[in-house]
Amino acid sequence: MPIFKLAVFSLVVFFFIQCTKEKIITNYEVVETPSYGDNLNKDKDKTNIEFHSILTTNLFQKPSSINELTRTDRVIQSCGDKTLINEVIISNYMNTSFVKLPTRKFMIDSTEKFITDTYIRFFIRRPTEAEKTWFINFINANKANPNFRPELVYTSFSASDEYMFY
Amino acid sequence: MKRREFVKKAAILTAGSAAMPYLLPSGRLFAKTNTPLAEHVVYVIFGGGLRQQDSILQRYLADSQDFAAEGNLLHNILEGAPPTSKIAYGIGEGGTQPIPKILSRTIQKQGTIFAEMRAISGGHYGGLNSLVTGSGVAGQGLKVRPINPTVFEYARRFGGFKATDTWFIGNSIGNSLPLLNSSNHPDFGLPYGANFFAPNITFGSDGYATLQNAKIYHPQEELEPMYKMKNFLDNSFNIKKGDMPGIKNTDDERTKIKEFISNTFIRQAAGQLPMPPVGGGDGSTMGYAAEILRVFKPKLLVVNMSGIDGCHSNFTGYIQAMHRADHALGFLWNYIETQIPEMSGKTIMCFVPECGRNQDHNPIMDANDWYGYDHGDANSLRVFGGMVGPNVPSNLMVGNEANPIGKVTDFNLTIAQILGYKSEVQSAGLIDPQAKSLFDRI
Repeated sequence: MPIFKLAVFSLVVFFFIQCTKEKIITNYEVVETPSYGDNLNKDKDKTNIEFHSILTTNLFQKPSSINELTRTDRVIQSCGDKTLINEVIISNYMNTSFVKLPTRKFMIDSTEKFITDTYIRFFIRRPTEAEKTWFINFINANKANPNFRPELVYTSFSASDEYMFY
Repeated sequence: MKRREFVKKAAILTAGSAAMPYLLPSGRLFAKTNTPLAEHVVYVIFGGGLRQQDSILQRYLADSQDFAAEGNLLHNILEGAPPTSKIAYGIGEGGTQPIPKILSRTIQKQGTIFAEMRAISGGHYGGLNSLVTGSGVAGQGLKVRPINPTVFEYARRFGGFKATDTWFIGNSIGNSLPLLNSSNHPDFGLPYGANFFAPNITFGSDGYATLQNAKIYHPQEELEPMYKMKNFLDNSFNIKKGDMPGIKNTDDERTKIKEFISNTFIRQAAGQLPMPPVGGGDGSTMGYAAEILRVFKPKLLVVNMSGIDGCHSNFTGYIQAMHRADHALGFLWNYIETQIPEMSGKTIMCFVPECGRNQDHNPIMDANDWYGYDHGDANSLRVFGGMVGPNVPSNLMVGNEANPIGKVTDFNLTIAQILGYKSEVQSAGLIDPQAKSLFDRI
């Protein structure tokens, strides 16, 4: 008999534990994840047209026409050193009045932000601490050179190996 | 140190320094294995498919259009009287005016001609592959780099040459031509590839619109910091060897090539580029090749022509293109010998087409009612080639129609012998096993 009572009591307790009122979730939480990746997963090279479409959008804030891209593609194919010919094309772009660049003052006065912005703009990622430190030191070391301008920084990023991959 | 110990150590050091390899100033590990025969090689791919009967056999229309007119269309290369009737291979309306000869002595008189050689492939890309790799692999796919090392990679790896010492000049970007400056062989590949230009595009209307306005940066104040930043960024991003998008020049070489691009547009506008008297098409390609020779004085330059391939549908255009190609080749050799003192007397020029053309014509007739010729049969494996320059026997004809001597794959080993690393190329074991240096065929 005591065993029977114990069993009934356990069943009642179990019933009340199991049956709870369903919660209605009205607030969702956000899991913290970094917005920008690293360079480890960039293993697909951009086609010539992809590269210059992205590049011109970066530099001019507007895309090139398909005719310009096709023409540029042919020129890149006509040269064996892709990095070199890209540098020449980039310097051609830099010689136009439409290119949108940060000022030298911004680069000198807000070096850290300039570097972070440039990494995000070209590499779609934040710089590592080592990269940031290297660039801060490099820009500071070249402050006295009046020809050291954001244009050169942008050219080096545009012509880098990492910018050719995604 | 005791005297005996000193003598012992000195002997070991002396023996070691003699036996161990050492780095030469050029960066190569070992001294060259054979005495170089010349300092520079210019290798002309007389390309597009050159029919043996119409070229070296000098049968003109007799063996192609069933019309009794024979004669030599290649008067800069070969000895032989020109045709006396049905002149349509020249310039002007109807092609009735042969182009004046450039060379006072033909290449045949100055050098050695291999009158009857064998090509590896009756197709363009397979043929071009066999010429640049020296390999007998005929099944090379399009749109992929050669599977075996090219003549450029051997030159750079075994000759210790830098990128601007080796050039491949293509007449277009079609037919996967831009891929022939390097193989994808794991032991060679793009790190040893040659610089490439298709100058009719790089310096044509497309290139003008894309490159002509490029800034010239100050070497120290602008380029130097830019390259430092770029090199830092590249070192932070470990690109795999197989993923390299193109060959790499050093910073100094890049600066020099950029100056070359800029100056070429300036010289082009001023009419100062060295062009053959009758230019256009292949002639223009040869003119730009001459400009690269003038500026860079490379150890090895390969230039491709292909105008004669119009023979598929236009026989008249084909014989005109053949005559112009002879003119362009004569111009290039004359330019090297008379206008580039650093290369004159120190350069061997080799030439050969990648394939011949068929025995029988196709059904397509041109405006003169002459039939076209395709390529792919046994006759299209019949070609002739030659070489000229120091250490090349002069006025020598090797082989004939009944006695074929030499293969197109011989040229790779020949170039290796000329530049001094023949045994290394042989030891690599990646060329046609039947290939020999043409000097050994003589």
